[in-house]
Amino acid sequence: MTPNNGIMSGKEAFMQRIASRLGRSNPMQTAPEKPVRGVPEHYRDRILSAEERLDTFISNWTALSGKVLIVDEATAAETIGQYLLQVCADHGITRAARWEHDALNGLELDAALQRGGIESLVWREGGDAGLQRRELPTGPEGNWSKRIGLLQAAEQCRLGIVWPDCVIANTGTLALFSQGGKGRSVSLLTEVLFSVFRADQIVTRMGEAFELFKSRYPEAVVMPSSLNLITGPSRSADIENDLTIGIHGPGSVYAVIIQ
Amino acid sequence: MGDGGQKVLEPKKAHSTGDTGSGHTGHEPETSPIGSGLKKRTKEALKDDFLRKAVAFTTDKLRGGRLKAADEFGDWETWRERGRAIRQHTISHLDYYLGQFADNVVKNGGNVHFCHNGDDAVSTFMDIAGRHRAKLVAKGKSMVSEEIHLNHHLEEQGIDAIETDLGEYILQLARETPSHLIIPAIHKNKRQIADLFEADAGRPFEPDTKTLANYAKQKLRNYFLEADIGLTGCNFGVAESGSITLVSNEGNGRMVSTLPKVHVVIMGMERLVPTFEDLEVVLNLLARSATGQKLTTYTSILTGAKRPEDLDGPEELHVIILDNGRSEQLGDPIFQDVLNCIRCAACLNVCPVYRNVGGHTYGSVYSGPIGAVLTPLLQQDMKEAGTLAYASSLCGACYEACPVKIPLHDMLVHLRHRKVKMKLTALPERIAFKVYQTMFGSVTLFKLATKSAYYLQKPLARNGFIKSGPPPLSGWTQSRFMPMLPKQSFRDKWAALQAELAAKPRNGAPAVGGDAKAKGGGGHDAE
Repeated sequence: MTPNNGIMSGKEAFMQRIASRLGRSNPMQTAPEKPVRGVPEHYRDRILSAEERLDTFISNWTALSGKVLIVDEATAAETIGQYLLQVCADHGITRAARWEHDALNGLELDAALQRGGIESLVWREGGDAGLQRRELPTGPEGNWSKRIGLLQAAEQCRLGIVWPDCVIANTGTLALFSQGGKGRSVSLLTEVLFSVFRADQIVTRMGEAFELFKSRYPEAVVMPSSLNLITGPSRSADIENDLTIGIHGPGSVYAVIIQ
Repeated sequence: MGDGGQKVLEPKKAHSTGDTGSGHTGHEPETSPIGSGLKKRTKEALKDDFLRKAVAFTTDKLRGGRLKAADEFGDWETWRERGRAIRQHTISHLDYYLGQFADNVVKNGGNVHFCHNGDDAVSTFMDIAGRHRAKLVAKGKSMVSEEIHLNHHLEEQGIDAIETDLGEYILQLARETPSHLIIPAIHKNKRQIADLFEADAGRPFEPDTKTLANYAKQKLRNYFLEADIGLTGCNFGVAESGSITLVSNEGNGRMVSTLPKVHVVIMGMERLVPTFEDLEVVLNLLARSATGQKLTTYTSILTGAKRPEDLDGPEELHVIILDNGRSEQLGDPIFQDVLNCIRCAACLNVCPVYRNVGGHTYGSVYSGPIGAVLTPLLQQDMKEAGTLAYASSLCGACYEACPVKIPLHDMLVHLRHRKVKMKLTALPERIAFKVYQTMFGSVTLFKLATKSAYYLQKPLARNGFIKSGPPPLSGWTQSRFMPMLPKQSFRDKWAALQAELAAKPRNGAPAVGGDAKAKGGGGHDAE
């Protein structure tokens, strides 16, 4: 569904001024000839093999303190379920959120969480049903108390499970096309980010992730409102240059790679 | 998460760039004019040992990170050239790309407000805030909002604006302004931060990073949840899709553009790239140049407000596009390229002036070499802000560090030239150059002057050096010894040297005649 047009104000005089400063009588209406486009050619042409992409991603992800588990496709559901419970135990997680995503649904992680006595929230309308209501951090009054229950409940999940749309090897980055069941909050409001993806989703460089994004959504009006590139844990060095991990977003990041 | 026990939100009043608070000492927002206050601020900074150590340490770390990242990446010069070409092309065709960008934002359901100056932008923001009866604004990092003194205006209207970048939040509590583009609280130590948090929370704090960070994290979390409006800057707009790109390491940029129902972006009109392909170039350059990271932790590319199928994200998106003196640079053969800047702060980290005095000395929102160029240009003020062009050694380190090759060192010279042309330099300086011109225009006067200088300096010199001179010489001798002028200058020796060279051919070369080109020479013959 495409959105309704927004409003525009002050454009004409503003653009006229720019055009005249640039020596044109009217603002340019046709696309100018571009002398260069995108990354240098030698960089664009450097394609890594599947094995190199996997190794490069792992090396970059772990350098950022990210954890990696490689699982075999045949036993993926069982192995990932066990690993997820282990991670939850390590972090004392009692409630987790996950994307509403076909591949994630197939892994039956909710059942695994249930076995460990962990509540799970699925990012869909009513996905918070059945969760025990908890007191809001901001109290019963104010803006937050008026927001949808799903959002309030997600804010109280300390682990988020996502399935990236694409993974970038040479920067160690998860690319999330956040839209619909793939909510932004799941990878943002939690303390632990647990990502699961297939090894063949790893691309060499950022530009390939953008190419996938644009091929999937050729028109801007159908693009997801948020494309998030996540490269390691949330960090800050604002206090005397001491690195602080997990300042606003997740401080622990996991990548489970299915081969 | 959340802090469990805390229910009441009582945000501190936002600092204003025009209010020095009361009784607080330190780097308060500067009220004295940029130019005439420069000396005073420099002296204060030079006396602040912690500040100087912190600035040196941080800039060393960031500079080292950049060099290492560039080296690992390989072909850095090719990348710089590519970055320069993309930015220059964009700025040269800004009428096309900005039009395309704005049209796409609107097609995506966002609202675009073009604002000629800071007042327009402030009143546009106030209209939006008023329509939503906003009481609390959560701010991501936005230099443009500092540029237009937005916090000050919001405070006047009784609206709390909370800085959510950890460094900016610390400064807000201290009622101070940022001193670095990337690490704004570079000049604060843990004890000072603990004191600020103690005053805020009414309980004691250990000066320990984890404790301090946790307090800020809990406190800011509630602001994210409660804010009526999230305000951010924009690192890059993508013209082909109308997307807003935000980068942050902490994740506060994501928070303020996801949780509040209204997201307002304030951006300079030049912050664009044509396509996603070009975005890949500038994102690679920005992260590596700013901190030495391969990519900033969070890069969000936001296209419109939330879609009908989304369950989170802002319901309303406003993009305020600001000119505020930027268009004056368009078409200027010398200064147009300053708009290519991607705000990475690499030039600050290598500048010998910035590294010694930090950002507050500049007395303006933008500091370092880019600030020294940008501030007078944006403010159209050569008299006061133009003085910043003298806060430079003209060494060119800024140009070498710049990922988009802005010739800042040349621009600084041109700004000085402009100041001279406008007769805005100090009277003693004008007189000095007049004397210089007269003296160098006459051989007789020049000879007389150099001879006089030798005898005039004698009372001041000890063992061949002037160690403590009167003004204006004291500017040099307070940190260095001035070698004495020799009794016999190179010019005086020239005839004898020529004869010597003619008499003694070297390395089998034929003896040179009277028009020989002597090499070297001219050393000081201190008595």
